[in-house]
Amino acid sequence: MLQQAMHDLFPKPNHDEAARQEFVNDFRVHLAAKVFPGNFGAYFGRVLPAFAKTNGREPKDRHEVRKVMTQDPYYQMWSLMQRSSQEMIWDSVIDTVERTLPDLQAKAKTAKGKGTLTLDPAVEIPRYHTGADIHLQPGAYHTDSVPDDIAQGAVYERGTFLYAMGGMGPENDGLGRILHKFFRKEWPNRKIGKVVDMGTTIGLGIVYWAQKEPDGEFHAIDVAAPVLRYGHVRAKALGAAVHFSQQNAEKTNFADNSVDLVISHILLHETSRNAIQNIFNECHRILKPGGLMLHLDLPQAGAQSPLEGFLWEWEVYNNNEHFYGQLRELDVSEVAAKAGFDKAKFKIHQVDSTWADGQTPYSDSNFTFPVYAAEK
Amino acid sequence: MADAPKKPVKLPRTAKGKKPIYFDSVTDKLLSMVLTLMGELSVTRDRLDTVERLIEKHALFKQDDIETYELTDAVNQIRTERRAAYIARVLKSVQDELESLQQQGESTNTEVKP
Repeated sequence: MLQQAMHDLFPKPNHDEAARQEFVNDFRVHLAAKVFPGNFGAYFGRVLPAFAKTNGREPKDRHEVRKVMTQDPYYQMWSLMQRSSQEMIWDSVIDTVERTLPDLQAKAKTAKGKGTLTLDPAVEIPRYHTGADIHLQPGAYHTDSVPDDIAQGAVYERGTFLYAMGGMGPENDGLGRILHKFFRKEWPNRKIGKVVDMGTTIGLGIVYWAQKEPDGEFHAIDVAAPVLRYGHVRAKALGAAVHFSQQNAEKTNFADNSVDLVISHILLHETSRNAIQNIFNECHRILKPGGLMLHLDLPQAGAQSPLEGFLWEWEVYNNNEHFYGQLRELDVSEVAAKAGFDKAKFKIHQVDSTWADGQTPYSDSNFTFPVYAAEK
Repeated sequence: MADAPKKPVKLPRTAKGKKPIYFDSVTDKLLSMVLTLMGELSVTRDRLDTVERLIEKHALFKQDDIETYELTDAVNQIRTERRAAYIARVLKSVQDELESLQQQGESTNTEVKP
């Protein structure tokens, strides 16, 4: 497997932990390349013909496909293995983090570097995080197990690398690269100014932006303290100047008309319908007139065929990505208009998911990321 | 005085949220055990590979010596026994069912009623 870049604060696996993590990676590569495609064979070979025979027509949408495909033994077996592989990712990484945490915590305390960290214990963890652990990371983003805990951030960094099978690159920052490349293609001469990254988690995206745009002032917010603590020391280790703070993107403490650019990297699909509206309202409030909002997220249902649509939603039903389902249907232009953005200045760009040398995240080159863009 | 040993860190291990059932609860568990075993065997094989490479690096013997290793009758006997025990261990649940079927068979054939 592709080797991940390991900075000073990285939870370095020992021999058997690394072997276990590499097995999970290779197992998932096998599932994606050799097992997943069989779902098409099962569907077109027997599920669709049986449906057509009973109903005299093909399934009209992904919901009808769901009813029959979830009964197919091939799909069930793939699905079980995919789910198990996801659980194995976290288990294999938690071993390393549990073993190395005292050392990582000590290093975090004395780490030198740029940037700041501001925590606010009064920030409530929203229901869309506490209801279920998103993508099955036990304890999710927000659980503290020891004082000044950075564990969930460390687990996230290695776990998401394995999840993407290295598809985000050695620095795990592919999404930051994709959005930044798009930004500079569309607005080559724009002054970067003050940037806010919403739902930053451990700052994978914003650290890349900060490295590429030395003139910018970079702020990164999240509701969860453990990932912010880790993100802060990780940014220090990588020499990036980022100001991390514990804030809910639905209601931040940035002043009105004070920000040049608001960005997010796959945030919206992990928040509720109400939260998305609140986040857009907040973006509108804090942006300067002429300021820019760019939210990169996962594909919407749109023009996907019933089968494709069903397969894309595997994560919703099997990987605790419950809120992705509603984003797939949402009219985001209406949300933006309601937040106060001029309809003429709102656009959904379909952005190439390739970030380097034909490399895309998620081992699937056949999709684009929607970027919801608006100027105030 | 030595420091008291620190309590090991315990992080959450089970994701919060409803777990889907794919076949049935028992089959799902069994299959996930098989996948875990698959992983553990891979881990062991990687460790053995590291050991073999270190042995070669330090010139104790060569990896090729393993490939050309000739089995003596005595070693063959030891391995055969060990392999049979291993197969029986992994397939114990099948053996258990077979045993209980035979027990039932015996009980229906006997004239002694409980």
